[in-house]
Amino acid sequence: MVTDARYGQVVPAVFLVSAASLANEIFLIRLLSLRFWPHFVPLIVSQAMLGFGASGVALHLLRPRIAKKPKPVFAWVVILAAPSFELVFRASQHVPFDPFLLLWDPSSWPAFALFFFLLAVPFFLAGAAVGISLSFPLGRAGVLYAASFGGTAAGAVLALPAFRLVPTELLLRVPLVLGLLASAFVLSYPHRRFRAGRVLFAGLSVLLFLVPPVSLLLSPYKDLAITRRLPAAHTLSVRAGMTGDFRALYAPGIHYAPGLSFRFEGEIPPQAALFADGELRGIVPREGGKNPPAYLRYLPRALPYRILRRPAVVQFSLRGTEGILMAAGNGASLVTVVEPAVEYVRMIEHDLSAFSGGMPPGLRLEIRKEGGRNFLARRGRKYDIVELSDVSSLTFSSLGIHATGETYLLTRQGIRDALARLTDRGVLAVSGWLKSPPRESVKILRTFRAVIEEGKGSPVSARFIVVRGWGSFVAVARRDPFTPGELAAAKRFCRDTGFAMVWPEAGPPTGSRNPEEAGFREAVHSALTGPPDGSSGEGLFDLRPVTDDSPYFHRFLRLRSIPAFRRLLGAQWFPFLEWGIVFLALSLVVSVMLAAVFLLLPLVFSRSGGSGGPPVVIYFSALGLAYMLIELTFLKIGILLLGAPIRAAAAAIGGFSLFSGIGSAVSGKWESPATMRRWVFSGIAFLAAAGFLLLFHGAPYLLAMEEGGRYLAFLAALAPVAFLMGMPFPAALSRMTVANSAAIPYAWGVNGFFSVAGASFASVGSLWIGFHATVVAGGILYLLAGTLYLRLESGTSSVP
Amino acid sequence: MSGRPARCSGPPDDLRFEGKTMRSSRLVIAFLTVLLCVGAARGGGDAAPYLEKRLAMVRDQIESEGISDPRVLGAMREVPRHLLVPPEYRPMAYEPRPLPIGEGQTISQPYVVAFMTEILRLKPGDRLLEVGTGSGYQAAIAAKIAGEVFSVEIFPTLADRARRNLEFLGFRNVTVRQGDGYYGWEEKAPFDAIIVTCAGGHVPPPLLRQLRKGGRMIMPVGGPFLTQNLVFLEKDADGALSQRNVLPVAFVRLLGH
Repeated sequence: MVTDARYGQVVPAVFLVSAASLANEIFLIRLLSLRFWPHFVPLIVSQAMLGFGASGVALHLLRPRIAKKPKPVFAWVVILAAPSFELVFRASQHVPFDPFLLLWDPSSWPAFALFFFLLAVPFFLAGAAVGISLSFPLGRAGVLYAASFGGTAAGAVLALPAFRLVPTELLLRVPLVLGLLASAFVLSYPHRRFRAGRVLFAGLSVLLFLVPPVSLLLSPYKDLAITRRLPAAHTLSVRAGMTGDFRALYAPGIHYAPGLSFRFEGEIPPQAALFADGELRGIVPREGGKNPPAYLRYLPRALPYRILRRPAVVQFSLRGTEGILMAAGNGASLVTVVEPAVEYVRMIEHDLSAFSGGMPPGLRLEIRKEGGRNFLARRGRKYDIVELSDVSSLTFSSLGIHATGETYLLTRQGIRDALARLTDRGVLAVSGWLKSPPRESVKILRTFRAVIEEGKGSPVSARFIVVRGWGSFVAVARRDPFTPGELAAAKRFCRDTGFAMVWPEAGPPTGSRNPEEAGFREAVHSALTGPPDGSSGEGLFDLRPVTDDSPYFHRFLRLRSIPAFRRLLGAQWFPFLEWGIVFLALSLVVSVMLAAVFLLLPLVFSRSGGSGGPPVVIYFSALGLAYMLIELTFLKIGILLLGAPIRAAAAAIGGFSLFSGIGSAVSGKWESPATMRRWVFSGIAFLAAAGFLLLFHGAPYLLAMEEGGRYLAFLAALAPVAFLMGMPFPAALSRMTVANSAAIPYAWGVNGFFSVAGASFASVGSLWIGFHATVVAGGILYLLAGTLYLRLESGTSSVP
Repeated sequence: MSGRPARCSGPPDDLRFEGKTMRSSRLVIAFLTVLLCVGAARGGGDAAPYLEKRLAMVRDQIESEGISDPRVLGAMREVPRHLLVPPEYRPMAYEPRPLPIGEGQTISQPYVVAFMTEILRLKPGDRLLEVGTGSGYQAAIAAKIAGEVFSVEIFPTLADRARRNLEFLGFRNVTVRQGDGYYGWEEKAPFDAIIVTCAGGHVPPPLLRQLRKGGRMIMPVGGPFLTQNLVFLEKDADGALSQRNVLPVAFVRLLGH
């Protein structure tokens, strides 16, 4: 085994380039969410991550050539990686593909392929740097692997404050800085003599700081891009942080009033629109704080305010100032808004105060900057209205995928917690767009019903009011039946607004209504009076209440329904898909296809056959897949506990990287087959299950803790399993290095690709089989890997 | 009076020649040939391939999906949709999908255009307001049936382009204005029918005011991309409004409405 004693150059370079790579990944999530929709993010970022795997394949194919001079090659790869993060992103912006056409026009796919190929380049270079250091090797495997993991953790930790301290357009300067620092360590590697070429190239990279920041080219279909083009549009405020990039724009052409009654004959005042990652998040009426606009009383969401007098209200998600103004304009005595995006709140409170006219005087207002389930768990004040306005806005996502995003507020447990915060007369209120056929509306009614039925015995149907407006619905529900006076108030609201009361039924017999309205009434009737578990009459969609084990409220698709859609609807089937599901499926298919290509390719072209054989392939594939299944499941449960996706992502990715890095560093002491099989692989399976169960079933207690306590609990639950999960990879590499190292790059590549596929599989698993089953699957894969550990040496071939 | 598109594949109608000398005849023939080529190049041709595609579009995407109004079908057969989309998308102009036209806007797929036109029950003499001119295609289809079409587009570049294209195609009964369509076109009101081609969260009150009694209106209403429904409204003789969702659709959303 050849070892380079100059840890002082290689180890920090590996650490820093790994940090740059992970920071780049996290920043790409933000940049691509802003450029496109979050639906694109998992596909594109997964493909970019394939760069790691491709680096392993390249090392495998080019091994004889690299073996002549691995140290200079390592140095050059590190130096090239530094500017690649920003340069590649700039180049990718100029690839002319239209996301709108992707799902319809195959001729646009080559441009799309070029786009995600470019984004893979920095990861390719970073992966090659780490791979060269491990496979030739330039240091002890455990230390280098620990440096890689540690750097990854550092990148995750650095990324979080960067979102707040660095403008969005300059985020990629952070991996540039990290890459240049890595370059500094290798300018004179290995002989401590500075190489002119390397110094020149690194110097040119430094000149990037003189170039103006990236000007983000948004998709022309983004809300922000469209609004910017409106005549006289101008920006009022820009803020960025962990939870998003927030911008406020004003244009005279903004007239936003979702579901407004046609009985409103007044004027909608000038409005500013607020955007989170380029998508509309809220509206601020001009001077609304001085005088709440009248149109707010004609929105469907105003229903609960017409039933209850002087209510105390809690609203989840701050949608500009509209929600607050609606409550104030309808006589609310107290308004609490729960909103975890701190920068967004500051934008509204400070930057837009002159435009908005401040908050209504005399209104008792409190904005709680925390997650919704955290707030509900604390069992504090009770409210007359718990408002979950616009169901679609309550989606969180570990990777920014709305339709496949976690919706912990809308699970049975979330609704149960919300119900517990109601006064005796209090109501749950939910509103949203009305899809045809109805989906969200029916699903939320079923969820409400499932929770309310856990209590007293009066007819559940008497505890609901459902109203239909312009393409929208609003529903209120409570523990006790509505009084005749309250029902009369709801009917007056419908009469005043022209909305239709769907439940309790009112108006002419069903037969005289149009088919669409009749269909909605029938769906509501079934949801409130049909079988309580919703198992009958569901038809094409999955409308069963969701639980915390699979908190995906917006997953309506039944895969077996797709042929039926096409049969029934012909060419008009497309609006019934949720794009998140489509892109997740695309991500999975493309990942598997490319993984297959890159697995088969070296076998075809490799003369030495140095892939290591099936034990190596299966072992490292299982590790890659299992690591992601377990890590991402912890991440997803972290969203519940820590209240925001980026916090959960940083804690999970950073925590796993850190503790796995420590495990890697000490893996040398645990390498013996007996120790590995008895303690490590079995320990991983056990601790993964134990840690997850602790977090999942301890959530009711953990949610009520302060933020610091929740972070500690989360990290404490993942630390033991992450520590052990850091061992199988370097331990195996050490065994293979002893036999020979020809298969190491291939193992690296296989592991990288299955890590990418594992990200998609973890999402698929969470969606369809739940978190528990996904973690168990990960544990089983580690046990499978354990059975192959002994066979790694015998599976390798000689060095050419 | 319906507009008729100019014939783009042949010489101007007023070109005449009397047989003179052979040399004169050859010159005239050459001249005509040049004009023929220029006309074909300028028009993109209502060349045979596009015509065939258009007829196939009507047969396979519109008639077969239940659109039966002969005036709508006739309009769809006549209006050269491919001349109203950007040149790079012309080969796809007659496929069942929306296409980008710039400014983050799209031309709707043919079926939706036909559906929205048919449900409005347009007849000769009707005054139609269109909010969201876009490519001008919907206006062109409506103009083949209605008396006058008034179309408002908020993006100046799209308004200019649509106006040029519609003039080139000879639609004399379409008037395009750049402005905020949320407020309709008060000076030309009332309207027998109103069509809104960009999705919004609500029906703008000014448009309801400008719809005459007995009038019809159709508009996509809904939230983010791919969750809208086409809402059809009718104002009866007493001014009372009734509405119903008629079709789930995918429209690009315009924040301004």
